[in-house]
Amino acid sequence: MLFFLLLPALIIFVVSFIKQEKPNHILAYISFLVIIPTTQLLLMDKPYALWGDYLVVDKINAYVLFISSVVAIAVSLSLLTLEKHVSITKVAYRRFYRAFSTFWIGLIFSIMSNNMGIYWIGLELATLSTVYMIQTNTTRGAVKETWNYLIVGTIAISLILFGIILIYSSAKPTLGEEAMSFSLLLAHANEIDAPYLFEIGFAIVSIGMFIKMGFFPMNLWLANVERASFYPVAALLSGILESAIIMGFFRFSKIAMEINQTHLVVFVFSYMILTLFVVSFLIYRTKDFMRLFSLSGVEHMALIVLFWVSGGVFPALLHFGAHAFLKPALFLSTGVLESNGKYRIAGALRGYSGKKGKLFWILVSLFLLGLISLPPSPMFFSELYGFSAMVDIAKESKHMIAMLGAIFIILLLLSIIFYKFVEVSQSMKYEGEVLAKKVYWNELLALLLFAVSLLVLLSPPVIDYLKGI
Amino acid sequence: MTTYLLTLLLLLLIAPLLLSLIKSIKMFLLFKQPSSIFQGYRNFSKLLSKETILSYESSVMTRVAPFLVLSPLLVTLLLVPPIVKGAFYIDFVDAFTITGLISLSTFFLMLLGLDGASSFGGMGSSREAFISALAEPAMILTLFSVSLMANNLGISQATVNLAQSFPPEHIASFLFAGISFFILLVAENGRIPVDNPETHLELTMVHEAMILDLTGFYLALIESASAIKFVIFSSLFVSIFIPFGLDYPLPLALLAFLLKLLLVVVAIALLEVNVAKLRLFKVPNLLGLAIVFAFLSLITFYVLGA
Amino acid sequence: MMINFLIGIFLASLIISLFSTRLYKLLFWYALNSLSLGFLAIYFGANLDDNGMIIAGIITVLMKSIGIPYFLKQITVKLQLVRQVQPNIKIQHSILLVPAILVFTFYLSEPIMQSMGQNAHYVAVAISSLFLSLMLMMEHTNIAPKIIGFLSMENTLFLLGVTATGGMPMLIELGIFFDLLMAIVIVTLLLNRKEI
Repeated sequence: MLFFLLLPALIIFVVSFIKQEKPNHILAYISFLVIIPTTQLLLMDKPYALWGDYLVVDKINAYVLFISSVVAIAVSLSLLTLEKHVSITKVAYRRFYRAFSTFWIGLIFSIMSNNMGIYWIGLELATLSTVYMIQTNTTRGAVKETWNYLIVGTIAISLILFGIILIYSSAKPTLGEEAMSFSLLLAHANEIDAPYLFEIGFAIVSIGMFIKMGFFPMNLWLANVERASFYPVAALLSGILESAIIMGFFRFSKIAMEINQTHLVVFVFSYMILTLFVVSFLIYRTKDFMRLFSLSGVEHMALIVLFWVSGGVFPALLHFGAHAFLKPALFLSTGVLESNGKYRIAGALRGYSGKKGKLFWILVSLFLLGLISLPPSPMFFSELYGFSAMVDIAKESKHMIAMLGAIFIILLLLSIIFYKFVEVSQSMKYEGEVLAKKVYWNELLALLLFAVSLLVLLSPPVIDYLKGI
Repeated sequence: MTTYLLTLLLLLLIAPLLLSLIKSIKMFLLFKQPSSIFQGYRNFSKLLSKETILSYESSVMTRVAPFLVLSPLLVTLLLVPPIVKGAFYIDFVDAFTITGLISLSTFFLMLLGLDGASSFGGMGSSREAFISALAEPAMILTLFSVSLMANNLGISQATVNLAQSFPPEHIASFLFAGISFFILLVAENGRIPVDNPETHLELTMVHEAMILDLTGFYLALIESASAIKFVIFSSLFVSIFIPFGLDYPLPLALLAFLLKLLLVVVAIALLEVNVAKLRLFKVPNLLGLAIVFAFLSLITFYVLGA
Repeated sequence: MMINFLIGIFLASLIISLFSTRLYKLLFWYALNSLSLGFLAIYFGANLDDNGMIIAGIITVLMKSIGIPYFLKQITVKLQLVRQVQPNIKIQHSILLVPAILVFTFYLSEPIMQSMGQNAHYVAVAISSLFLSLMLMMEHTNIAPKIIGFLSMENTLFLLGVTATGGMPMLIELGIFFDLLMAIVIVTLLLNRKEI
């Protein structure tokens, strides 16, 4: 089974070395194959041991991997016409797909892993291959951003490894050599007799993860990087790489919740409120699409973390799924929206002709409004459930007022973002000059794929599956 | 008691010898004909027979200050750790006293430099104040860390304790204190890389600038003061950080002590030949390193050893 | 006693490299750092009879203290990188900041020392070395000291892995070396493409 999972990536890697006339077509069609093994994983009995005790598939894993493969397919779809929007050579295409295949392999290892070490190795492989992907854009600014990304990314990964070693050393007296596996740590969490060491290790791990996701002290590096790279790379970064990191955060914080939930809640809440504070004002001042979308991605990741830590597994996963579909969709559409230049937010939704054009702008405006959680977007439901989960954990402790205050502040900050998004969509639709823009069939297909998956996310079988986790 | 007095006499006598030894080793390393190692004594007797001329603007300070520069150093000389076990030593003196006496001497040297109303003197005094402001905290921290390791606040008692039973778990902070004290040895005595003792160009003078217009007996006093300061620092360094040889009988212990001093002299000479003098505004980098290492030695005493 | 001495040299060389202003000297202190780390790994491995650790220590001594400085020196000469690297933090602030970091991290690790006992102080030294190498990375703007700061961070991870637990699984040590290799490969590729 592991071999089937890795097979499409290996095929892409091999084929990318063959020189051909239209590399993007063949490689994109091959990358559609990734959906087959992941659907099969979704339908199997869980927990399914993929490789001994090291890679174990359970419900969350399969869900996250399935979402990532849908995103990957849509990104490959839209890559078919990348050269019509930006200047890129055939060699760069092949290099991109080579990096993409290593990225996918690293992703499989990190999402499916039950072992902290393998999780880290997969994450590191994924990060280092995205560095290479950013390099497909060869302007001077992109090279500088690549350096920044390399430095920040490797700092974050080293911090995660440091925290992993500390956690391992805290659990080693009780669990022996097996202290690396998540499931064993979760089962024996209360028997760790040096909880402070575990908490320091967990704090360092989460700081590393937060740096990678673009939270508080390092808000702008993600936006700058995604600005400097091409839009499919940005889509991949925000859709799939975040999923690997958030998977790790889910696992680590589950164990930390067993050990000391109060510390975890206070730490995460104060961190996220600081992040939301900075990000909401940054969003208010953006002037171009990419930055707007990447900062909004940071905001949604913060909400996912908040929901998960409050014990709301269902809202966190639903929000994660919805975000992983909406954000890459919007990133892929910026290829068309920015056809006339980077800073023309006004009038970006005008000037489409024909059936394809009409469908395009209707979909994009729906996605934009769905991102700020207007019903019937799944984000609306997930935020409702999420806030109720936060109130639930405050009911048991004595800090109801503090929690209500925190929720109030969060809603205030989210309303700033809401205002900005509404303003952006209004100006995209109603202001600005009418310049002709062309939409291609593959991009439209990608957006339709996302729309269909969002509707599927809201359907009862999926909701039941998520509630059962 | 007799060993104690003998040690004092010996240190007084070899003080000029050490400085001229540094100079001739340097010349030997530079493939020049080395000057005689007794040149320090010859300089001293030459200066004693010269007449003293004082500048017109100088006040009573110039007549008094050379004695006041020498006397705290002579008092500190009384406090040096013993060379051999069983000798008398003064055991209650701690880091503040030693640092305070040495900085008292530096203070009067700075006043002497200012007194002559020449711009060289003022410049030298301000540079000297700059350097000793950074060197004093480092010295206090280093000596306190050593006394913590040896479990006694008196420095001489601390060296005796270290020689008898060296605590192996504190070797990391011992190492850091050693590095810091060596940097201080270089800085306080005005060797390269902090100050050039052989130059008379104003760009590089610190110590020489303050005594530029002294002659005769007063210059002899100041030069012997700097020689005694070097002897004090090196014997402190040698007793604290190379604590062997106290158990041998007297002649062998004396020989061990002299060999250790020779080791310090050779190290300083090698350093002076190989390293360029630092720009004045880069000296805080070096002294900052000394402060950080002294601090680190205190902290690792608590973390690594306790 | 040997362990304390080697850890002392590790920390000393890291702090000296924080105050250096010349690139080749930074490489020298990094080489000393890796040398003491390698000897520490060999010593621990010999005590615990763990062959993996001894081999990792030998690889560290060979690769990190001889190979990587030599390699970085070649790159510096080929690309003519700037060799005078001035920290952005002024020395006055640096003198205050470094002891503050040391005190803060040792204070953070104080409860560990009470509960763990045996190897607790090595964890404290490792955490403070992590923060100090982060500071090394942050205080320079040229690319070469940033790379050296990253390499010191990898050394810190290795130190933690060797001393804190009673032997890491080989997976992690392989992972650290793999990470180093990948980073060096990518740095070479990026440096050869375009200059900054």
